[in-house]
Amino acid sequence: MKIRKSLLLLIAAIAIGALSYPPQWYPMPLRLQLTRWFGAADYRPLPLSMDPQVLDAETFCPEDASGWREAQVIDGVSVTRSAPCVADNPYAVAAFVKGTNNVSKDTLLRSGLTSDAVEKGRDLDGDGDPDEIHIRLEVAELNGGSSVTQRPVTSYDIAPGIQPGMWVFAPKLVGMAVENFETGIARDALRLPSPAIRVEQGDSITITLENSHYMPHTLHLHGADHGFVDSSGEGNDGVPITSEIPVMPGHARSYELQPRHAGTMFYHCHVQPHVHVLMGLQGLFVVEENRPNNWLQTMNVGAGLVRAPSAAVRESYDQEYDLHYLDLDKDLGERIRKYRDPRLITQSMHREYDITDADVDFFTLNGRSFPYTFRESLLVAAEGERLKLRVVNGGAKGISLHTHGHKFSVTDRDGVRLSPATIVPQDVVWIPTAQRVDLDLFLTNDGLHSYGRGIWLYHDHQNKGVTNDGIGPGGNISAIVYADYIDDSGWPKTQGVPWNQYFTKEYYRKEIPIWESYAPGLFSNTVSDPWWYPRLAGMALALAMLAALSIAALRRRSS
Amino acid sequence: MMRAPVGLLSAAILLLASSADIAAQDLMDHSAHSGHDSMRLDRDGSVMNENLDSLPRGCEALGRHLHFTIHAGVKYARDIPGSIFGMSQYEVRVEPCSRVTVTFVNEDEVRHQWMVHGLPKYLYPAGMFHIEASGGKSVTGTFIVPAEDRNYLIHCDLSQHMEKGMRGQLVVGRGSGDLWSVGGASAYFFRDDYMPRFALLFAVLLAVPGFLATWYLAKRESATGSASRREIFD
Ligand SMILES: [Cu+2]
Ligand SMILES: [Cu+2]
Repeated sequence: MKIRKSLLLLIAAIAIGALSYPPQWYPMPLRLQLTRWFGAADYRPLPLSMDPQVLDAETFCPEDASGWREAQVIDGVSVTRSAPCVADNPYAVAAFVKGTNNVSKDTLLRSGLTSDAVEKGRDLDGDGDPDEIHIRLEVAELNGGSSVTQRPVTSYDIAPGIQPGMWVFAPKLVGMAVENFETGIARDALRLPSPAIRVEQGDSITITLENSHYMPHTLHLHGADHGFVDSSGEGNDGVPITSEIPVMPGHARSYELQPRHAGTMFYHCHVQPHVHVLMGLQGLFVVEENRPNNWLQTMNVGAGLVRAPSAAVRESYDQEYDLHYLDLDKDLGERIRKYRDPRLITQSMHREYDITDADVDFFTLNGRSFPYTFRESLLVAAEGERLKLRVVNGGAKGISLHTHGHKFSVTDRDGVRLSPATIVPQDVVWIPTAQRVDLDLFLTNDGLHSYGRGIWLYHDHQNKGVTNDGIGPGGNISAIVYADYIDDSGWPKTQGVPWNQYFTKEYYRKEIPIWESYAPGLFSNTVSDPWWYPRLAGMALALAMLAALSIAALRRRSS
Repeated sequence: MMRAPVGLLSAAILLLASSADIAAQDLMDHSAHSGHDSMRLDRDGSVMNENLDSLPRGCEALGRHLHFTIHAGVKYARDIPGSIFGMSQYEVRVEPCSRVTVTFVNEDEVRHQWMVHGLPKYLYPAGMFHIEASGGKSVTGTFIVPAEDRNYLIHCDLSQHMEKGMRGQLVVGRGSGDLWSVGGASAYFFRDDYMPRFALLFAVLLAVPGFLATWYLAKRESATGSASRREIFD
């Protein structure tokens, strides 16, 4: 009697299991056999497409409330117009040109700089411009950790919702590190990349590194003519293992140089460089040719358009841009938020992080990734204009810089002029780590240098470089925009797909189907198949019955 | 294995975190950085929103004039493990309505700040009083504290200086309860784990004899216990 009941239960379990088992999981020979016997199964529609998500897109082009984009004369300094939406603070530009010790009090206050941020002294060669330059740099952490909040501290978004931990050199500023405490957003001068520094050939330059950060750092002047020791015999190369003890937190150190050779150089921290350089402690260091009355914009915050270009550049070009490419490793940047204790942060970054097993995730141009690059780093010019681009690749991997619609010429490499025979038009240039190239980009519509007016991308042609952690479009994509293709607010008149989804965090969190904006429904997320519920319930019931029957059988045998 | 309880704990902390954020924001509440409407700036540093004589609401008369000299620098952080930047004094206790003069002495070679947040906005734009001293300089500023008993956040707003040690509190009257993470005065709200290396092994070593002992006791009880209990354990 008892056995018969068990047998019936066993048959029921097998039947339930077999009925609920999904046919697409049947072994292939069985499926083929069933087809031979019964033919194809009846039509059953696939699950529908999900309705598109309602997204709250950020404003593409923030309003320029303070009129920073306009051409203006401040304290006698001409600051050129900056066409894209977000422009540098023109008062800071003026203060960098005249020296923070020479500008009016009002300009200094509006610049946000301290009076000793960039001091300009005597005209040593009597050619009408100051030759004694004292620059002060601080070190700031962006998107760091805290013991009272889980939000990134001194936050800085490279793209919507993307906040990698970073360290930067910064100009010496008065006041708070953030715009205000509610948002905790880093003020505009605290940003990636570290500022481009511009000095004149032959100037007597002092750079004081005021280490306001909680780790030791140094300043290494890569490629720029400087002595191994300074005038007092102290190390001047910034290299801990050969030159000097690093600058400890709260301490300062001055580096000296009087560069004899002009060209596009580089500077970076040399403490644990495989970590500190990758974290963002690096900037362009431009030595401009000596000219009379050559008042230079000593710092270019966030790189980009030089709004008060040098005399030598004005002789041959209409515009000059600093372009700083840098890739970032998400896994490294996270470590400054994962721990609060600087001992644990140091252990995690310098011992546990293994760069030989690492890979980069974010690809920035002048501190932003697409779509934010379109707010800041567009090259906006009229047909026929001549642009000088000073490009550095500070990233861990090489970049293969490509321009649409144009061929540029590499005129200088690592700050040295190439021989005329090798200066030829090209549309891809390979820039390995730490290399600088100077490019002539002429907007001459001759079918070679330019194919005419439009919005033409320029970007790293290596595929990962045009993504934000694997989601495209992203990375260092930016564009050459002809003047009649940009509107008054500074936004390019694109005629392709809508951009709303690119200005959402969700898109870069990989939650939005990539073609949803113009092919809704066709490639959307699918709703799930509700038949799984009865099938899974049936299979689970069958398994449970089998398990119960087996235990009962075992117990019967043992008793 | 250890991840599960840690995960639970962090979930609980996440719930708490939002409230801590709100509490912190409340104390730090101020609208957009109002720039330089009341700023004294020179090469040594700056004082923002100085107030020598305007009485806060609820103060009938100016209280005592108190003077504090507060030193800042990495050397003051040495006694507090896990901090880099420090102050000679993290807690400043004053009577309501007193006039407080602070001489802020910066012993480092980088800028530091002594900022108070959450003050009444009708007297202090953005609700803050702020002294900044360049490296090696000292700057003095004066303000008048409100009438209510309350704790105000004091900090340095250079990037990561508060997080790495420069966080204090101004206690007016009896105060309104300690703020979190004040140097030497209160605990970190979010704290690193500092878990010993062999903690997991230690826990397992304790759990095994615990399990065996309980098992043994339960068995013994079932052997000597009532019939109904025996059924349960069989
Ligand atoms: Cu460093
Ligand atoms: Cu500080």
